[in-house]
Amino acid sequence: MQQAIPYKSWPLPCIDATSHRARSTTTLGHNGRGKDVLNIVSENAVIVLARKGCCMSHVVRRLLLTLGVNPAVHEIDEEDEAGVLNELGTICKGTENNKMVQLPAVFIGGRLFGGLDKVMATHISGDLIPVLKDAGALWL
Amino acid sequence: MMHHFEHAFCSYKYCLTKQNIKFSLDPIWFVLHSKLSIALDINSTCAKVAFVIISKSMNSPTPQFVPSRLSIYEPIHQIGIWGENFKRNGNPNTSTSLIVEVDNKLENESETTSHEMLAPTNNYEQEASKPIDKIQRRLAQNREAARKSRLRKKAYVQQLENSRLKLIQLEQELQRATQQGLYMGGVLEGSHIGFSGTVNSGIAAFEMEYGRWVDVQHRQICELRTALNAHISDIELRILVKSGMGHYFELFRMKSTVAKADVFYVISGVWKTSAERFFSWIGGFRPSELLKVLVPQLDPLTEQQILEVCNLKQSCQQAEDALSQGLEKLQETVSSTVAGGPVAEVSYIPQVATAMEKLEALVSFVNQADHLRQETLQQMSRILTTRQAARGLLALGEYFHRLRALSTLWVTRPPEPSLP
Repeated sequence: MQQAIPYKSWPLPCIDATSHRARSTTTLGHNGRGKDVLNIVSENAVIVLARKGCCMSHVVRRLLLTLGVNPAVHEIDEEDEAGVLNELGTICKGTENNKMVQLPAVFIGGRLFGGLDKVMATHISGDLIPVLKDAGALWL
Repeated sequence: MMHHFEHAFCSYKYCLTKQNIKFSLDPIWFVLHSKLSIALDINSTCAKVAFVIISKSMNSPTPQFVPSRLSIYEPIHQIGIWGENFKRNGNPNTSTSLIVEVDNKLENESETTSHEMLAPTNNYEQEASKPIDKIQRRLAQNREAARKSRLRKKAYVQQLENSRLKLIQLEQELQRATQQGLYMGGVLEGSHIGFSGTVNSGIAAFEMEYGRWVDVQHRQICELRTALNAHISDIELRILVKSGMGHYFELFRMKSTVAKADVFYVISGVWKTSAERFFSWIGGFRPSELLKVLVPQLDPLTEQQILEVCNLKQSCQQAEDALSQGLEKLQETVSSTVAGGPVAEVSYIPQVATAMEKLEALVSFVNQADHLRQETLQQMSRILTTRQAARGLLALGEYFHRLRALSTLWVTRPPEPSLP
């Protein structure tokens, strides 16, 4: 397995809070509140939001790790799930994301990227690495 | 009522013949006879009326002749009397008005033959035999028609019975086939027997559909082969490629449906042949293996294509590893859940129930694996030219076909020689 390169936080146009703190830990713990989740999303180049104990989030993480990305993982408790998803639905995103956010959800560069489906499809078509590089999650 | 009149006429004719009466005496007779012969066929009410009218005109005792209550034997006696009356009272003059009346009653139902009979002629004798014959013939025809109708009905009922038996047979066969399908799964899994009806039907439906899928696959392979050898245009080839790809996507959809019914059935590849199962990865082929089979068949490839295929191989491998590791994690989770709590304890329901919930994630794994296969196929079609894609599909189909043949051969191999 490749050594994960420590990443830098990325200043974003649509979210106010920016932080230049470099994080070495990968799991941020379960802080279920919507607003906090928004902050976390914006603070990390790549973050995976998932339910506790979800095996699919494990798949996403392993895939990203093999690419050389060390994604943050935020686990959501069952009771907070609805609230978090609502908050996420209000974030400014691309026009395609009209549906409810599905878990596990991958955020790249503060924007919702998609679920495992999207990640797989993008990786097979060879577009995932450029996206990660653009977001500053990958340096080669 | 009709057959009574029939009988009446037959017996009357018999009586008259016996008595050697020339019943050509009275015009009334002709009218009555011809009209009644028609009436017999058509309308019994009018015939009744005709009888009453005629008998009243004769001034003969009518009470004996009650048309509404004719029995088979009565008319012989009554008509005998009637015949006597004819003998006695042959009076043409009183009959004209009656002819008219009878005519009116029966006008609506008259046929052409009756008109011929209306004109009274002097030579009644020869024509007298014709109406009798006509009646005879008509009676015979009726009998024949009735007999034919009875035979038809019998044949129809027989046909119905046969169809019913066939239906029962088919139902039994279907039942047996479903059971066998279950048993196949049961041999390997040991968990299908005792499942609810819906699960059985999902699996049975899938197996039928899959059988058809394999047949269509075979046909498509032959079509591709002929097309490539015939050097058809790229546009036409494109259509074949698209339908070939679509056929694989159809299989993924089918698998997704049956996975909801029973995910273990899909993931263990029960529906595949033994050789295919040997290479199975999460319920299907491994995309990276697929590429290894395809690429040698696609030569020559451009430099760019070689690079892209190489990248695709690597991406596949990485995605497969991620899924495999996720599956391992699921195994660990389920295992620890099932083993949770002291194993020495008898009660295990909560652990098993929790494990059941976790196993639902297996459906996602099957779906993700098929999704990966689909994406790989689509990416290949983007990298390759139409002709290369056609060759690729042919190679792929042929490969699976040979694996199936290998399985069949394996099953029919000669038994191992016994040890000395």
